[in-house]
Amino acid sequence: MTSKQLHMTRFKPWKILHVDMSRGISSLSSDLGIQGLFVVFWWNNIPLGQRWIPAKQLPMRSAELREHALAAIGPAVGRYLLGRSFEASLSNRSPEACIPDFKALTELEQPLSRLERQLSLPPANATGPSVSVVVCTRERPGRLKRCLGSLQDLNPVPGEILVVDNAPTSEATRRIVAHFPYIHYIREPRPGLDVARNRGICKASGDIVAFTDDDTTVHPDWVSRIRQGFEDPDVMAVTGLALPAELETEAQYLFETHWGFGRGYVQRVFGTAYFERSRSRGAPAWEIGAGANMAFRRSVFNEVGLFDERLDVGAAGCSGDSEMWYRILARGWKCLYQPTAVVYHYHRRDMGDLHHQIHSYMRGHVAALLIQFERHRHWGNLRRILVSLPWYYAPLTLQGALNGFSGRESTLPDEIRGCLSGIRFYLCNRGAEQSIRPIRRSRPTGKGV
Amino acid sequence: MKSLNRSGRRYALLDIETTKATPPLGLSSHMSGVAVLVRRKGRPVDFWMEELPKEVCTPEDLMRRIGDKSGLQTLKACIRDELRPPVRSTRLPSLTVAVCTRDRPKRLARCLKSLLSMETSAFGLSVSMEILVIDNAPSTSETSTLADSLPGVSYFLEPRPGLDFARNRALKEAGGDLLAYVDDDVIADSGWLAGLMEAWMEHPDAAAFTGQVLPYQLSTKAQILFEKRGGFRRGFNTIRYAQKLDGHPAYPFSAGVFGTGANMAFRTRILKRLNGFDEALDTGPPLPAAGDHDIFCRLIRGGYSIVYKPEFLVFHEHRRELKALLRQYWSWGLGVMALVNKWQQADPTQCRKLRYLIRTWFSSHLRELAGCFIGKAPIPVYMVLAEIAGGIAGLMGGYGRSVRRIERIREQYPCSPKAQSRKQ
Repeated sequence: MTSKQLHMTRFKPWKILHVDMSRGISSLSSDLGIQGLFVVFWWNNIPLGQRWIPAKQLPMRSAELREHALAAIGPAVGRYLLGRSFEASLSNRSPEACIPDFKALTELEQPLSRLERQLSLPPANATGPSVSVVVCTRERPGRLKRCLGSLQDLNPVPGEILVVDNAPTSEATRRIVAHFPYIHYIREPRPGLDVARNRGICKASGDIVAFTDDDTTVHPDWVSRIRQGFEDPDVMAVTGLALPAELETEAQYLFETHWGFGRGYVQRVFGTAYFERSRSRGAPAWEIGAGANMAFRRSVFNEVGLFDERLDVGAAGCSGDSEMWYRILARGWKCLYQPTAVVYHYHRRDMGDLHHQIHSYMRGHVAALLIQFERHRHWGNLRRILVSLPWYYAPLTLQGALNGFSGRESTLPDEIRGCLSGIRFYLCNRGAEQSIRPIRRSRPTGKGV
Repeated sequence: MKSLNRSGRRYALLDIETTKATPPLGLSSHMSGVAVLVRRKGRPVDFWMEELPKEVCTPEDLMRRIGDKSGLQTLKACIRDELRPPVRSTRLPSLTVAVCTRDRPKRLARCLKSLLSMETSAFGLSVSMEILVIDNAPSTSETSTLADSLPGVSYFLEPRPGLDFARNRALKEAGGDLLAYVDDDVIADSGWLAGLMEAWMEHPDAAAFTGQVLPYQLSTKAQILFEKRGGFRRGFNTIRYAQKLDGHPAYPFSAGVFGTGANMAFRTRILKRLNGFDEALDTGPPLPAAGDHDIFCRLIRGGYSIVYKPEFLVFHEHRRELKALLRQYWSWGLGVMALVNKWQQADPTQCRKLRYLIRTWFSSHLRELAGCFIGKAPIPVYMVLAEIAGGIAGLMGGYGRSVRRIERIREQYPCSPKAQSRKQ
């Protein structure tokens, strides 16, 4: 433990820098107080790529930073402008691989300006599906206030904003919400993130229900980009990019580099083809996004049911979101990863919290796999628990045993314990399945404001 | 087209401009492969080579391949054009180009022609450019006759044999702010000068610039082998070499990271400050390599930086004969390890890095050797063995031998040679 603390004191923060390339790329000056720069490259409001630049490479001239930018944004720009064929040519994973149309490529001029026109948002007063934003929280008034503050800057304003106060022990949350005139306060006494989310869904009136966590802030375009994602009627769920809001402690750095919510800057459609291709190994629905930045058509809950209340914080630990996407994919609908919808997430600051979080991640993950197997009888989920995960952890454990469980390996014991505890959790809660059926249950009385 | 070589293996070299309608790409059936240079608005974007399948390869087929292999690079070039800021410089540096040669008038003529036909302006600004031919211990007067016949070319005779004697002579005679060296067996691309000037504008503090070197022809087995193993290529992204380089613990000593002496340019002032090239390197038979790598390392160790710029492009005629190629690989091994020798003596504090370099160099070559036996390495066993043998010879006092020999040459030509120039 002492060595761990020593490690923490030596940790220098990474500074997050947002570079809007449409305003030109300037040079970077050196900074001795940091470990490096985490640079996110944007073109106006479109995030296109990121780069970790260690401090020893600073100062950096603008021409050199431009080369970094090019390497970072190439794939995302290609995917937007040249379509799926381009994505296919970048990775061999896709069987429908085809070659980018070379002619389209050669005729391309001013690609970033073209991209901006192509992704332009409809005017703020245009009609479209209405959006309800749901924020679930529990006794974190400071963070919630920061989050709600950022929701005030959304353009256009969403139809409604609901804050679900989950099993509160004080009136702090209610008082915070009272400061914001157009935000509704809902109290959900039963603990559990998915219980709170389900409560939010039942109370929401919009065509689209968008979720974010209380430890985030959102980009002003967040809601309009989510709405844009639902233009395709087959898309039932949209997820977005969750960028780190700060990288000041080792816990935050480790989380971002090994666990982070980052799913990249390339738009991706997850559909039947994706599901069928990976089904035999347990479709990795967690690749679709993060619960801190996701949205659903409200109607889909009538079809596939509400969140499984055995999962996520307060119960198994997490994966309530991915289990929902799994159900959507299994029914033949699509999920869309829309990186233009951005939230900034404040990761846990200290190592203790990180260990706890990682433990519950793996616990929730394994529990979700078992629940998916229970619902769909897809054997790939069991295969993942019995083959893939041990196969993944065996060499890491060996490495950790040799190198003394530092860095990436420092969370290994928690992960493995989490996996085992996930199995136990599932076995203890097998009977609780009825709570996730889309039936109208008698709801505990909550006081909507 | 003139051909042919005994083995009947030849690669077609295609130079494709993506913004223009491509002319039908005729590939005659005796071509065994194709090497493609993809450009966008004249700038090189990508290069790759590939063995052609037995059946006929149609132009459409080829275009599809280009789209597949160079799609991302073309797109990046396209974005780069959009992100490039407008030129703000009001003055470009003057440039001296030095071509060191010995008894190869035909190749020299080709090289000079490419330099003389180059547009002497870049980005709307004119560049004053002088061309020096350094004739190194010639056995005939052909080079001198050739240089005399070309207006705009100055001729200097350097009697002491050795490439770095010639290079230092050029340094002495150079009048430009920048001094570029090209080998006599290269042809400069039409964007060569603009590429160098752009590198200078983007990195005004860099001490040296290296450029891309692509094959001029791939018509013999030796040339194809050399290029398949990577040739002199350094990729199509600009690289700035400062005091550290990710993934290279032995930096700046790691072999071949900076580029090659066939195409390089220096700030004349800084090169003079470092006393030019080490004349015990690049000497011909005893130690025919490593002068370029040595000067790059000394620049980095002196706190300067070097910029590699792909648009600063030449085409190099590789060794045509397998025997010559064999010798080249041997000399590479010799050069790398002779330098290790030199630095170990010069600066014992760097021993750890140098030991690491020796270890990784030999282990990577042994791995390549193993690759030869399972058919995964592009070159035959004896070439790898030659390079390893060269490395061993270099470690066994290669540098010392060369220094002693150079001393003898210096004694032979006691006073500094008189400037035997005939300026035009």
